[in-house]
Amino acid sequence: MTTDHSDARHRFAESLDEVRTGMLELGGLVLENTRRMGEALLENRLDLARTVVGADEEIDQRYSRLEFRVFEIMARQQPVAGDLRFLVSATRILYEIERSGDLAVNGAKGLLRRDGYTLPPHMHSLVARLARASADLFARGLDALRSLDPEAATAIDRADDEVDEVVGELYRAIARNAENIGFDLAIELSRIGRYLERIGDHAVNIAEHVAFVVTGSFPGGDPSAIQDE
Amino acid sequence: MSMDGPVSVARSLGGGTPGAERGGVPVFELDGLSVDYGSFRAVEDIDLAIGANEITAFIGPSGCGKTTVLRCLNRMNDLIPSARVHGAVRYHGVDLYGPRIDPVEVRRRMGMVFQKPNPFPKSIYENVAFGPRVTGHQGNLDELVEHSLRRAALWDEVKDKLRQSAYALSGGQQQRLCIARAIATNPDVVLMDEPCSALDPIATLRIEELMIELKQDYTIIIVTHNMQQAARVSDRTAFFTVDIKETGARTGRLVEFDDTGKIFTKPSQRATEDYITGRFG
Ligand SMILES: Nc1ncnc2c1ncn2[C@@H]1O[C@H](COP(=O)(O)OP(=O)(O)O)[C@@H](O)[C@H]1O
Ligand SMILES: [Mg+2]
Repeated sequence: MTTDHSDARHRFAESLDEVRTGMLELGGLVLENTRRMGEALLENRLDLARTVVGADEEIDQRYSRLEFRVFEIMARQQPVAGDLRFLVSATRILYEIERSGDLAVNGAKGLLRRDGYTLPPHMHSLVARLARASADLFARGLDALRSLDPEAATAIDRADDEVDEVVGELYRAIARNAENIGFDLAIELSRIGRYLERIGDHAVNIAEHVAFVVTGSFPGGDPSAIQDE
Repeated sequence: MSMDGPVSVARSLGGGTPGAERGGVPVFELDGLSVDYGSFRAVEDIDLAIGANEITAFIGPSGCGKTTVLRCLNRMNDLIPSARVHGAVRYHGVDLYGPRIDPVEVRRRMGMVFQKPNPFPKSIYENVAFGPRVTGHQGNLDELVEHSLRRAALWDEVKDKLRQSAYALSGGQQQRLCIARAIATNPDVVLMDEPCSALDPIATLRIEELMIELKQDYTIIIVTHNMQQAARVSDRTAFFTVDIKETGARTGRLVEFDDTGKIFTKPSQRATEDYITGRFG
């Protein structure tokens, strides 16, 4: 083994770190945008909603750059074993993050399209709980990626059940109050519920991909257990 | 063409039918194999079972004993005076180092291809015909030469110049000629020791395609330091490494032997992962 060889492999290891750091930064931007979106809805702030939409351009650009970088590394380094699992999973984790970013934007655009709306008090507290819970879940998904913790998936999956519960409550409240709040807002709020629930699902998926990177198998053993869009 | 098939080969050495061996008696079984060169222990305590009609790759850092183990399979180590083989090597269930075994007969049953193409300084035709002549082949020699060259994917390139010197061929062609020579005596095993390390990528690819083609009829064992080659062509991969003893002695051992897909996606040993991902040394 020559020095050149070690240098090349050293650079390879560095490029894997770069990808992971890049994913975490991207995830950080999406997390920030998700929180911003929740705040925009709860406080009826169109300026914040516009910031959410504006920030998505950078998210998309970073996403494309990172994805291209992963393909390039795969083509040039022909990774195997743990490296291969990491890079293949990276393309999937990037997808989960980018989709979450789009969902935050969808929520913000809904507010802008309606020129703002005010949530009735009961809904307001439910949406607040939901927005906090799914942002927290997303943060935990990113933590799993940061620490490469294969156990995180199980805990996050449990936390996701709570999100699903709040969403259920929100749907029931919408159904009870549809006439009071108006048909259009009722539909928009059920969309919001759906967006936030999906962000939680993406967080669970991220943690499951992390478990695969580390252990070589998915929690529960079956890749099809991963939820689809 | 009437030639001894692998079935009769196996019978003559007391084994069963190779075709029936998937899940049955392996072609080779190494049982606690250790090899010494004089007082130096080169490899220690290797257990390995190699199935019929599979390509098995031996990988690992240089000096870990891949060639040494390969040479035990056709008793080539007999030719090295200082070499001592301990433990058992069974071929179709028969102890290869047993008293009734003729090492020359063993070597005839196992074609061998080396790192550097090493054709004889003879014509292309004579290179292939040599082995069958020596072993007293009774049938039509022209047919046998053509058949062997076809199997080695070389026929179309040389059919009009069979009487020309083998040295006029390119490196890749010479290596395929050596493969034709190795299979002309109708072995059931082909052993290859870094057969592509002197070849360019195109010639390498042809040899790799040829190996996959040949495994229908032969059991192939290849030593390679090209891990992508092991990943591309082999069914099973054995990873060897070197342990450095307190005395400073470097002794090879088998770390992991498994399906190639498993080795290159989820090896079970840390040492394997570090080696195949290049995080060694
Ligand atoms: N003929 C020999 N005499 C003495 N030592 C040998 C001989 N052949 C190989 N060795 C030693 O045995 C060890 C294993 O060698 P080898 O089987 O050639 O390894 P590999 O093929 O994995 O590179 C090495 O330390 C090598 O120096
Ligand atoms: Mg060798």
